[in-house]
Amino acid sequence: MFFQEPTPDTSSYMIAGYVVAFIVMGLYVASLYLRNRNLNRDMAMLEEMDKPVVKMELKQPKKKPAKPQTKSVTKRGRKKRP
Amino acid sequence: MDDHSQPTPFFLRAILAIVWKDLRAEFRSLELVSSMLVFSLLVILIFNFALELDIKTRQSVTAGVLWATFAFAGTLGLNRSMSIEKDRGCMDGLLLAPVDRSAIYFGKFISNLAFMLLVEVFVLPIYSVLYNTNLFQPGLLLVILLGSIGYTAVGTLLAAMSVQTRTRDVLLPILLFPVAFSVLLAAVKASGGFLSNSELTDILLPINLLIAYDVIFIAVAFMVFDIVVEE
Amino acid sequence: MRPKPMTLKILDVISILVLGIAAYLALVVAPTELVMGDVQRVFYFHVGTAWTALLGFIFSAVLSVIYLVTKDLKWDRIQVAAIEVSLVFFFITIVLGSIWARPAWNTWWTWDPRLTTATITELIYIAYFMLRQGIDDPDRRARFGAVYALLGGISAPITFFAIRLFRTIHPVVIGGSNVNAEGGFSMTADMLGVFFFALFAFTVIFIDLFWNRIRLGDLQEQVEQLKLKVAG
Repeated sequence: MFFQEPTPDTSSYMIAGYVVAFIVMGLYVASLYLRNRNLNRDMAMLEEMDKPVVKMELKQPKKKPAKPQTKSVTKRGRKKRP
Repeated sequence: MDDHSQPTPFFLRAILAIVWKDLRAEFRSLELVSSMLVFSLLVILIFNFALELDIKTRQSVTAGVLWATFAFAGTLGLNRSMSIEKDRGCMDGLLLAPVDRSAIYFGKFISNLAFMLLVEVFVLPIYSVLYNTNLFQPGLLLVILLGSIGYTAVGTLLAAMSVQTRTRDVLLPILLFPVAFSVLLAAVKASGGFLSNSELTDILLPINLLIAYDVIFIAVAFMVFDIVVEE
Repeated sequence: MRPKPMTLKILDVISILVLGIAAYLALVVAPTELVMGDVQRVFYFHVGTAWTALLGFIFSAVLSVIYLVTKDLKWDRIQVAAIEVSLVFFFITIVLGSIWARPAWNTWWTWDPRLTTATITELIYIAYFMLRQGIDDPDRRARFGAVYALLGGISAPITFFAIRLFRTIHPVVIGGSNVNAEGGFSMTADMLGVFFFALFAFTVIFIDLFWNRIRLGDLQEQVEQLKLKVAG
């Protein structure tokens, strides 16, 4: 036992290892979150475009229960009537 | 219904017809084999200069250089072979024919293998001369055959896929090399063993692996091929 | 878009907790290994991620078969999720393996059997995504993906056995007290406890990320459908 070398100090490698592990996982979670957010935005935009145009043009007095995002004027202009 | 206990004569005839079609087309122009051959020579030359080895070390890398060359040239051949089918509309024609799709696979596999072996047959003497080693040993030739079979078996299937993608030619090596890695590894091991006159027992293990790989992947590829070419 | 199920939200929280506990156990509670020092602690995360990733890859080969039989694109989305998460985890495995190798074997990288197989396997699944990227038709993309994942799944174990033809310097840890393989060590009882907890933790985290990724895929599909509807 007397001739055994002392335990080497490899803690810097350990820290590097854990840092890498956490960063990679963090990046992946972030990527999931961002992709989710972008898709949700696309979804909202598409749902907006999908709304029947007729209701917007006739300006019906009765409104549907408020949607979270309502735009009164879209920059894309009005769709032509078929 | 068809008797599936033996391949029907029609099945075999279909395979032979495809092989014959490819071979005849190739021998008219020789474009595929010649480009594979020239490419192989260039690769060998590059390795020759890049590695700059003394004679003794060269001996130990022969197996590796040889198989790297075959792998690259093989990719070239597989790509061209499948692209030709697609571009000339042959593939559509073949698919319309009343032939089992797996016959198409075997046909292409055999013709691709034939081209690869042909190129290898030319590469061996040139390599022997350049590196001053005799490569015409029966053991080595067996390994080259087995390795080429495995490589082409998977390569034919993957080429059929990659030719239908946007990225086409570039994709085949990316798909092929990781999957064919064990073939190349076993082939290099076995080749090296024969070249350095190792004990036969050492060499038997990689050879068994090669045979196992060939069997497994030919089986899988042939079962899955028709999923890959269906419209 | 369906709101996130409560179970998943709970799972998210549990995953973070479990990750934290595992890290604490590995970094603080586990005893320091005598020969290698603190770097051995990365082992807990290294094996945790390796184990789950490999199961993920095997599972994806099974999913290939299921998709090819059922032709239901849902299985394709599940496969993509499985492979993506496994890819991330396996990457962590490889990097941690390399970091562990440096002080233990005095080299950042070595072409020893397990590391080589790991790299090749990782490349197979990267190639899977590159293949998919080159195809526009969803049905063809799913078919080709399934075929390639199947091929990859079959070839990975073969590659492993192939490379075993060589002597390994990778530590055979579960083999117990054979420290002949350089860099090997035998685990004491308390290390074993931490080890198993880490395995459990990463399984939970994997399932959480996997589930989240599947939902992302479903959302993507809905967006695609809506795009077609709006454009048509």
